[in-house]
Amino acid sequence: MTKRIALLLLALLIFAAALTVRLSRYDYAMQDRDAIMAPSSAQHSTGTDELGRDRTVRVAAALLIGLAGATVAAAITTIIAASFGLLAAFSPPWLASILLFISDVFLSLPWLFLLMMVRSLLPLTASPPVTAVATFLVLAVLGWPACARAIYRGAMALRASEWMIHGRACGLRPLQLMRLHLAPHLRTLMLPQFLICVPAFIAAEANLGSLGLGVGEPLPSWGSMLLELDNSALLAQSHWVYLPIALLVVVLLILESFSSEVQAGA
Amino acid sequence: MSFLLTISTRIARTMLLVLFAAAGTILLVRFAPGFFSDAREMDARYAEAARVEIQVTQQQTLLKIAVEEAREWLNGGFGESRQYSVPVSGLIAARAPVSASLLARGIVLGWLLAAFAALPISGLRKGGLFWGAPFTILLAIPAAAMATACILANVGGAVLVLSLLIAARDFKFLRSLLEEAWRSPHLLQARARGLSAPALVRTHILPNVVPQLFALATLSIVTALGALVPVEVIFTVPGVGQLAWSAVMNRDLPVLVAITFLMACVVGFAGMLSTRDFTQEAA
Repeated sequence: MTKRIALLLLALLIFAAALTVRLSRYDYAMQDRDAIMAPSSAQHSTGTDELGRDRTVRVAAALLIGLAGATVAAAITTIIAASFGLLAAFSPPWLASILLFISDVFLSLPWLFLLMMVRSLLPLTASPPVTAVATFLVLAVLGWPACARAIYRGAMALRASEWMIHGRACGLRPLQLMRLHLAPHLRTLMLPQFLICVPAFIAAEANLGSLGLGVGEPLPSWGSMLLELDNSALLAQSHWVYLPIALLVVVLLILESFSSEVQAGA
Repeated sequence: MSFLLTISTRIARTMLLVLFAAAGTILLVRFAPGFFSDAREMDARYAEAARVEIQVTQQQTLLKIAVEEAREWLNGGFGESRQYSVPVSGLIAARAPVSASLLARGIVLGWLLAAFAALPISGLRKGGLFWGAPFTILLAIPAAAMATACILANVGGAVLVLSLLIAARDFKFLRSLLEEAWRSPHLLQARARGLSAPALVRTHILPNVVPQLFALATLSIVTALGALVPVEVIFTVPGVGQLAWSAVMNRDLPVLVAITFLMACVVGFAGMLSTRDFTQEAA
């Protein structure tokens, strides 16, 4: 039930954001020089930022960019993690030890610190689309170790299952075993990891952006919108400045409740 | 003997992980754009010296850089900071107490919040979802968003943000741990015999969950270390997190390697602590 409600709310948010971006007469980068830091008005329903850009359109675009980027990054991470976890589970013990050690090297640093370090060492003065791709790519490339560990544990349980042993005893070759017995179970291993990664990546992008290491301006993102809040002059204008934080929390809550429900059902 | 062997193996593995993390940092920073730039080039007085240093650095291989870093460490320091031109050990020594104090206060407050909320909520038959909702919401707030919101609302500070982040994660863990403990058969029997709730907690619940609190300690330390950078940067706390941020932005390799080394050491040894029973593992 909660899963359906969460999915419905998410679909509504995406639809509303897409509609806002499509139908608004303002572009997310368009500056209204007559309405800098303007409060809520007929032209700008939630006011404007310090460059006179419409806040509603920017928040809607940030939601879409954040969700799209995090979803693609989570898909890449899940594929890397699944390849790594399955390889470790179905390889000789010495190779599995090496693979697990590699994932431990990544896990030996706090994730946010690692993200910050790697992202900051990539070009920061590139075009906005390039910075967006770089940010989400860093998330995808560094997010796999914890997922790989979880998939490895699941794959080890599958490997030791009675029906796998039966399959091997019946003379099935490794490829046949994988196709007939393992592949149908991969979905239950990979889906929870994918769903955990999406909100985690959105939150990580927000954290990176607040340090000036996220998506470049004028492309809107959760992180860059948090960074804008550094301007205390904005705060005196209206309470709408809190909109990005509020919407970010709502989106993360929806995604996390959906992910928890799927995990509980798996 | 096997106990000692297990501990030695774990320490060796942790040290190897730390070394790999430090080597990875050197590799990353060496190939980062801007590594061969020096702010002193802008000043005519120091430009020539800076250019010579850059040329020398450009001729260094990765192995040579790593060997020089290792030599600095063996000499009891972490080298000299590129951006501040002072010994890295001095920089870290001045900032480590600030971060350590922030971490300690944040973790203790976070634990207290989580424990005082999880203990009664885990025993509820109804309404657990409602009373646990604040922590669910806190769990969904990124560290930077929470810090920014605190600054905007002029409420709390770095310690509060860290403790709320830790409390949100620990609460989830503690609650499921305690709920499981409440459901155990011996506890049902004890309740049926009329033991009071405080007595149940003292004699049955706490002794059962204490060993698993070591894992929770590791989780708290890693969570706090991860949040340290955004929290210190946003609240302008002069700690190690802020130094790390400044080092990555300025490609300050010696400082970055030293901080990575420290972070990996803390996470590695905290991870070792979370393994509760070495003797059992050795057996």
